[in-house]
Amino acid sequence: MMTPSLWQRRRGQLLLCAMGSIVFLIAVGLLALLPGTPNLSLPALWSIVNGGGTPLARLVVIQLRLPRLVLSMLAGAMLALSGGLLQGSLRNPLAGPELLGVSAGATMVVAAITIFHLPVLLIAIPWLALVGGLLGSSVVILTMRRMGDSVRLILTGAAMTALLNACVIIFMSLGTQNDLNILFLFLVGSLANRTWVHVQLVLPWALVAMPLALLCARPLNILQLGDDVARGLGLPVVRVRLLILVLSTALVAAVVAVCGPISFIALLAPHLARRLLKTSDARVILPYVTLLGAALLTAADLFAREAFAPQELPVGIWTTLVGGPFLLFLLRRRFGKSRGAP
Amino acid sequence: MIQRLTARYYSLLILLSLLVLFVLFVLHVAVGSVAISPATVIAALFNQPVEPFQHIIIWDLRLPRALIALLVGAMFGLAGAILQVIMRNPLAEPEMTGATSGAVLFAVLWLALAPAQTAQPGPVLPFVALIGGLVGGALVYLLSWQGQHDPVLLVLTGVLISAVLRSAISIILLLRQEVIGTVLLWLIGSLNGLVWTQLDVLWPWALIALSLGLTCASLANVLQLGEENATSLGLNVPLTRLGLFFVAALLTASAVAIVGGITFLGLLAPHLARRAVGADARRLFPFSMLVGAGILLAADTLTQAISQPVSIPVGAALALLGVPFFLYLVWRRKP
Repeated sequence: MMTPSLWQRRRGQLLLCAMGSIVFLIAVGLLALLPGTPNLSLPALWSIVNGGGTPLARLVVIQLRLPRLVLSMLAGAMLALSGGLLQGSLRNPLAGPELLGVSAGATMVVAAITIFHLPVLLIAIPWLALVGGLLGSSVVILTMRRMGDSVRLILTGAAMTALLNACVIIFMSLGTQNDLNILFLFLVGSLANRTWVHVQLVLPWALVAMPLALLCARPLNILQLGDDVARGLGLPVVRVRLLILVLSTALVAAVVAVCGPISFIALLAPHLARRLLKTSDARVILPYVTLLGAALLTAADLFAREAFAPQELPVGIWTTLVGGPFLLFLLRRRFGKSRGAP
Repeated sequence: MIQRLTARYYSLLILLSLLVLFVLFVLHVAVGSVAISPATVIAALFNQPVEPFQHIIIWDLRLPRALIALLVGAMFGLAGAILQVIMRNPLAEPEMTGATSGAVLFAVLWLALAPAQTAQPGPVLPFVALIGGLVGGALVYLLSWQGQHDPVLLVLTGVLISAVLRSAISIILLLRQEVIGTVLLWLIGSLNGLVWTQLDVLWPWALIALSLGLTCASLANVLQLGEENATSLGLNVPLTRLGLFFVAALLTASAVAIVGGITFLGLLAPHLARRAVGADARRLFPFSMLVGAGILLAADTLTQAISQPVSIPVGAALALLGVPFFLYLVWRRKP
């Protein structure tokens, strides 16, 4: 619990972290609008904002780069927030949609829709992805004996993910070559060629789920004290945990439906946030993690676009290649200390 | 808990499962696009005179496939049993050694870089995959080393490194989209189109790795007593773990090199075996091999029987076995 005195003592530091992330986010966002064909300078961008500029540049910025930027910010924020919720409510540093089978479940549903050309409205896809994600995560969580049991969590999560991935591969072996290539690009998680249509699909989910998620900060803080204490304080533990699970799955499902499974943003951002702010108070962590996730994914996407330009490798590959080892690095010390825990 | 079983019960069980295995083997050879009666199969296997075309089908096409299924199933079963001992968790599976994704990565690299050898390219590809599997295993082992080994860290490292290797696979596939179709079978594991060439590559490795694994059984038993007890009994715990991990990685890598990344078999077989014979590794390891071989043979027979025109990869069918397994785990949670 954050007492007023703590807030006063740490206010400068917290604000500094927040300001730093905001500046970083804005810088990355501006950078994401500039390079490419045509290459724009800052003044050129400014004139486009004011209604000037060549028609081509206007079209590229407003119809191509801007929606992608907005989508990367939204997706990053939603993923990170979902990771923060899951890690807090399960009291487990490894609880992330990637390891719980949430992403894999949602992905399986979208893959089925793509391969079998199911007549599903675009707007219904996130809902179906939500069902898939809940399926994956609820099985994994139901098999848990204790909340903090990391080994069991990661093992059942990995097995569940393997099962769901196998289903995806079964679908793929039934599809045509053309569908296969489309699906494969989706499976690695990418932000390429996304337009305002995609943003419109995600936006309602973000507008509803993100404020709700931020409101969960207080129950999350109580849950961190342990189930017994929380129950003693009058918190309906099971119901709250279920609600948080649905909420975080909804956040992930919307992102997966549009961008595919982008891994390790959700797992990594909360760890980074806790390291930077040196607190685990959810009331501070949740807003900050949202900011951080948006900045991280936007930066990763910028890198994905520009690293091997004109060839573009999907952002999901980069988040895994960089995020996986980084997460390992962050968690090594922690697990080294708590020996014999399982 | 080490269940006390009488030696008679155990030998009876082994005999019985060998019998079942033989029946499954014959059935596996008998089922296919041309159905052959089991009696004919047995006659052909013992070199009795049968019709020439049946002889060719049995000896040149189906027998190597059945033998590969037998060996690979046993290898996955043993690898899973060993890993579950090292990680002290009944949910560990061979994929967590990093050997599976390492092997597939090297195989994909080979397929992408050497375009002349497409489809089923002779005896070189399995070797490349084997090396990849061992590299993957070594990577996971070294990265999880921290003075000594924490099972949690080993599991975490295995899962994360596998994810990273898989995304490296994705990069290659994205750059060379035409190999996706071929690689798909590798990713899920399939016995389709395997003949004597592949068996010739597999059996020496299988023989070495399986016998290595079985000789480690008593060491594994000591390890199961817990770290402190094992140390006080004079066992070098880190070295034993390293050895066992290496054997498991070798088993996984050489199996994956031939049939691709079959999931769940290495998780399921030891689990079922433990139910039957208990946790004593000297009994668990051999029995887990038998169960693994039996499951793979049965699953392959079944997929061949039901999916005649298009052959579904056997790895897909095995993955579907994961569904009841999970339901069982959920159900067992409240004892």
